[in-house]
Amino acid sequence: MVKPPAISARSVSFYYGEFQALRDINLEIAKDEITALIGPSGCGKSTFLKLLNRMNDFVPGARLSGEIIIGGVNVYGPQADPVEIRRKVGMVFQKPNPFPKSIYDNICYGPRLVGVKKKSALDEVVEKALKAAALWDDVKDKLNKSAFELSGGQQQRVCIARALALEPDILLMDEPTSALDPIATAKVEEWIKQSKLSIVIVTHNMQQAARISHGTAFFYMGELIEFAPTLTLFTSPKESRTENYITGRFG
Amino acid sequence: MKESNGVHTINQGLESGSKAGYSNKIFTLRPRLSPAEKGSRLFFLICAILAMGQMFLIMVFLFKEASGLFISKPGSPALSLVDFLGRNDWYPTYPDATFGALALVAGSISVALFSTFLATPVGLGLAAYLSCVASQRRRELFKPMVELLASVPSVILGLVGMAVLAPFLQQALNIPTGLNLFNASVILAIMAIPTIASLAEDALSAVPRDIQDASYALGATCWETIWRVILPSAMGGLATAVILGLGRALGETMVVLMVAGGAAQIPNSLFDSVRPLTATLAAEMGEAAIGGRHYQALFALGAVLFLTTLAFNLLAWHLSRRWRGAR
Ligand SMILES: Nc1ncnc2c1ncn2[C@@H]1O[C@H](COP(=O)(O)OP(=O)(O)OP(=O)(O)O)[C@@H](O)[C@H]1O
Ligand SMILES: [Mg+2]
Repeated sequence: MVKPPAISARSVSFYYGEFQALRDINLEIAKDEITALIGPSGCGKSTFLKLLNRMNDFVPGARLSGEIIIGGVNVYGPQADPVEIRRKVGMVFQKPNPFPKSIYDNICYGPRLVGVKKKSALDEVVEKALKAAALWDDVKDKLNKSAFELSGGQQQRVCIARALALEPDILLMDEPTSALDPIATAKVEEWIKQSKLSIVIVTHNMQQAARISHGTAFFYMGELIEFAPTLTLFTSPKESRTENYITGRFG
Repeated sequence: MKESNGVHTINQGLESGSKAGYSNKIFTLRPRLSPAEKGSRLFFLICAILAMGQMFLIMVFLFKEASGLFISKPGSPALSLVDFLGRNDWYPTYPDATFGALALVAGSISVALFSTFLATPVGLGLAAYLSCVASQRRRELFKPMVELLASVPSVILGLVGMAVLAPFLQQALNIPTGLNLFNASVILAIMAIPTIASLAEDALSAVPRDIQDASYALGATCWETIWRVILPSAMGGLATAVILGLGRALGETMVVLMVAGGAAQIPNSLFDSVRPLTATLAAEMGEAAIGGRHYQALFALGAVLFLTTLAFNLLAWHLSRRWRGAR
């Protein structure tokens, strides 16, 4: 039995004002798998990622054509509610961006928005999310300390836990380890590999894509050049542009 | 960060330069100042000293002129500070003149507080609208307009208070005079709103974009993001905006002179006439004999005003610094 895809993008083109950042992207992202987006700087990876949870709504003059279907619904359809979508599709940003609040309040931010008030329920959410992000043992004794007092890697895992607290179906990660040292990177990667979520991760690090992802999509100048199982893409790419990129000939 | 880096490289340069004998390396790292540059540095230093010195001289002058009131001399008994600020008998021109300024202080405080109370929600709301809700285009239209409003001369607003608001209040509420605490507070609030809105908008815009994004990405709406993320982070700046607005209202003279009514009494209601410190100074200074007790008392009022606004500004400065550090 084939699972339905977690996300399918159908002829998606996207414009920042006059500038076309994405050209006719067609992509099916598998459920419960890890999909990596790679490509040279400025090729539209972040743009594509942000389309998936409508974080591009805030950009003045942005336009989209095509459809993005998540859970059977067009994310940009007339019925779609961006707030609802962002709860189901979590996001972790390139730079750790915890709120200037305690670790506890950071994790509770999402649940509180949906109306969870009871202390016991929140306590449970916090513990579960922090355990899921492999941070519980590091911080269980200082939940009321400011999240700013943690190391960069720990902050990033707070951000992951914060997204997980809403129990999203899909997690989008935009270069989540680019600000981290190798040890913290390894911890985040470890977490990604064992998680059971559908994850879309943008990365500049090809070893990272190879280590953790099931499928890899190569973007170049706003186009999706090639999308294949990671091993295939890295060992026998069909397109010469993909090969040039992964062998380091440009980008 | 940057500076310490700079220092670091300079030191390194010095060390390696002196060790290896490349003395010219030092000069490439720390260029020698040209005479023109030296001259302009000196010029700016003098400007800074002048500005500071001027402030200091004003203070000395105020306190010197005021001090006579509190020092006993033949023919003029000393007034204690407690009597000056704590008694309600401002009769400076009577033969047996008394100088208890409580009613004037109460006038200033009531007008400043009530106008801030009126201006704060509007100013903060306007700032929130400008920085979070308005489209780019509207923001570009409104922000300069708000700043323009701040430059309307206060005497013009005073005229509006006298000619429009006062008769309206008098008729609508059937009170003896429309020139009162309420009127003055409304006009002062109109004056303070641009100050508060503009400073608050700066504070809101200074909240890092990435934590706002984090909030939206967790399914927060615009208002939830304002309440839960932007407001708490901008609190220092917002408090500063309000305090500076309050300071402005305390120091403002023309409006209160024109529309507060001028009765030296402790107000019982919002519709009583009052006479703030500033209005008293402006109205009475021309008539006070130079060097006399009335003159000294007015300078003492000036000193009180000066110290209060100074305190407010220091508080605002302290708050904005502390919060910036916490961020
Ligand atoms: N807010 C914006 N307004 C206008 N143009 C933008 C905006 N954001 C991105 N772009 C442009 O869209 C293109 C794609 O940008 P995007 O951020 O998606 O690239 P990226 O693949 O994520 O690059 P990187 O690897 O450097 O993060 C770039 O040419 C960029 O200049
Ligand atoms: Mg990017």
